[in-house]
Amino acid sequence: MFKNVLIPISSEFYNKQVLERGFSLAEKFKSKINLIYIIEEKTLNQTDRLSNSYRTPYEIAETKNEIIRKQRQAADNIVFEDAKYFFSNKNISFESKIHQGEFSRVIKNELRNKNYDLILMGFNKACVLNYRLFDEVKIPLWVVNKNDGRSILAVCSNLAPNVKVPDVSLKLSEVLNLELNMVYVIDIEDSVQVDEKIKRSDKKTGKDLMFIAQNFIQQMENKGIKVHLLRGSFEKEVIKATEKYNPKIVIIGREQKKKGLLGLPVKNLKRKLVEKCNYSILYLN
Amino acid sequence: MINNNFLKKLLKIRNRKDIFFILLAFSIVAIFYIAPTPKGLSHNGQVMIGILIMAAVLWITEAIPLAVTGLLIMIIQPLLHVMSPNDVFTSFGNQAVFFLVGAFIIAGAIEKHGLHRRIALRFLSYFEKSPRFFTLGIMTSCAFLSFIMPEHGVAALFLPIIASILIAMKIVPKQSNFGKISMLSVAFGCSIGSLGTLIGGARNIYAVGVLSDIGINITFFDWMKYSMPVVFIALPLVWLILQFSFPIEIKDISAARREINNQVTLEGKMSKNEMIVLVILIITILLWILFSSHKYLGLAVIAILGCILLFLTGVVNWKDVEKRVPWGIILLYGGAITLGIGINETGAGTWIADQIFNLAGVNLYLVILMMIVLTVMLTNVMSNIGAVAILLPIGMAVAPVAGMSPLLSSMIIALSGGLAFMFVIATPGNAITYSSGYFSIRDLFKAGALANIICIIVVYLVALLYWIGVLNLHII
Repeated sequence: MFKNVLIPISSEFYNKQVLERGFSLAEKFKSKINLIYIIEEKTLNQTDRLSNSYRTPYEIAETKNEIIRKQRQAADNIVFEDAKYFFSNKNISFESKIHQGEFSRVIKNELRNKNYDLILMGFNKACVLNYRLFDEVKIPLWVVNKNDGRSILAVCSNLAPNVKVPDVSLKLSEVLNLELNMVYVIDIEDSVQVDEKIKRSDKKTGKDLMFIAQNFIQQMENKGIKVHLLRGSFEKEVIKATEKYNPKIVIIGREQKKKGLLGLPVKNLKRKLVEKCNYSILYLN
Repeated sequence: MINNNFLKKLLKIRNRKDIFFILLAFSIVAIFYIAPTPKGLSHNGQVMIGILIMAAVLWITEAIPLAVTGLLIMIIQPLLHVMSPNDVFTSFGNQAVFFLVGAFIIAGAIEKHGLHRRIALRFLSYFEKSPRFFTLGIMTSCAFLSFIMPEHGVAALFLPIIASILIAMKIVPKQSNFGKISMLSVAFGCSIGSLGTLIGGARNIYAVGVLSDIGINITFFDWMKYSMPVVFIALPLVWLILQFSFPIEIKDISAARREINNQVTLEGKMSKNEMIVLVILIITILLWILFSSHKYLGLAVIAILGCILLFLTGVVNWKDVEKRVPWGIILLYGGAITLGIGINETGAGTWIADQIFNLAGVNLYLVILMMIVLTVMLTNVMSNIGAVAILLPIGMAVAPVAGMSPLLSSMIIALSGGLAFMFVIATPGNAITYSSGYFSIRDLFKAGALANIICIIVVYLVALLYWIGVLNLHII
């Protein structure tokens, strides 16, 4: 399932739990781990720009090289050392490299050059990364968070095609030996139905949405999965559900929530959920 | 079609945000130029207020380089007939400009021969007893070095030294409180130290330059006499804030000790050139302390004398000067000083002061507090010298109405202008240390906000108890 796993670690944020999770996945799925350490270009550029009037180009270049050298040293001595402990020493196939650039751009380039089945990463909102890749990559993306429960919470809704989530959740619950809880959220703030081609329908009545939801629940029950129906704001209901089920992982599909004013994404849904949720999330993009 | 192509080309050169702020800045000047003049303010004064706001917009948003804004301020005054070209460019010939040039060349010589690194390592080696004491050592060393070098250079020097030590200790970036405090100590130590002498930050010499234009001459020693209490009170208090904000989780400092010893060993013995730079530096500082008054040599003569000695002994050459003297800051300084003169000579400063007092009334203690708070807020969102350049002319106009001397208001604004602790964008020192990855934007804000509050109280108390109470600065 996850044969080729990409673990990107930014110089902005390092979470050892990502490597731990990478190790447990690699053991279960016999995966190959590719670790890339990204020296964040944004931070370097910001430093250059601010120093512009106060320091000479020579001094700025000197400092920039020094920063890059120290970041590489930190990657070698701390991150790659930990990675060796988790992977190489336990005979898990593992490769590592260092890149310089903008986090999302580097990852997208890497995805163009090589086939990956999963991106496994950490998250920290107090850094300069914008996490554009949450919306821009087309493969599953697993964001590791601090809380670690004993079940899987699969989230389906009127805002997603709900095709991948049931299958992947079932498979993961078998392989990881975790109880599966599934919820179906009817988002009352965005009353449309998203089809399998990820197209949003026109606004639907509450009755229509309930009918579609009950059909889905029936289908799942035929497969032996019990689904809990929730009504409310998608984000709030998902957060409430995580608190109730205490999952190890929350699985969310390709939700197509409406954009903000004039179609501008005020803050994307995926990032918002990662910020508010204390549990790991797997986005099936 | 032509317009469309031109716009496309323009958008390729500059981003939309920059273009918006540039247009906004020029529109402000245009509005102030054509708008009817209120009672009590001359047309030239009104245009100068427009130029002041334009400078603030460009310095805060950095839509064009800070130094280019300095140049723009210089040329826009003769262009709008507010001041004659002669008056504008004469003010740029202030001796403080040459003091800056000299100080940068001396700092360049120190950097070229690595003397600053040797001093830094020597300082740090005295503080290897415990993790907590070590962070005090980092802060103190940065502050002391910022007495003899520009603060940004000190931050750039300490970044690799401290990063090497933290890497040797296997300290994980952003997760270890010891890592956070160590790097924040560099940023805050440099900022606080830069208040101490005229060399630490260009805003200090800017204040001295503006004061000398109105006949108040401040020597190198005078400045130290006024500023050092702030430095020595703020330094331990800010260190304590860091300790409370991020309790240190490690106990063993032996890896740091080994790394410092390694680095000291790598430095080897002091070279002949380092020795020459050190001797010239000591001579220059002694001359500044003893003979920088106008009766004797003045600040600039001593600075340039130090430079000439460096050239005569062959420890620096002109290529080094080209490599290490940031001419941009000199131009920025020039723009700032002409802005101050324009504001005062057109009566714009007095008019702004009158409006403030009509609204808020006259209370010396409240005025002092407001000056400190406003400067600290502004310096956190724009360049230090820009913030001081905008507020100092207003502060000097406010001073006589509030019952204080221009010297007191200048000291308050210039020193508060160095307290940029809260944001990465506040000062290059913060940005340089942030790039190490050891603390987050939130960590900086958390510790920086507390440090700013404490430093506001320190400057306020020093102003009331020492500058006014002991030195009687309010009546000079």
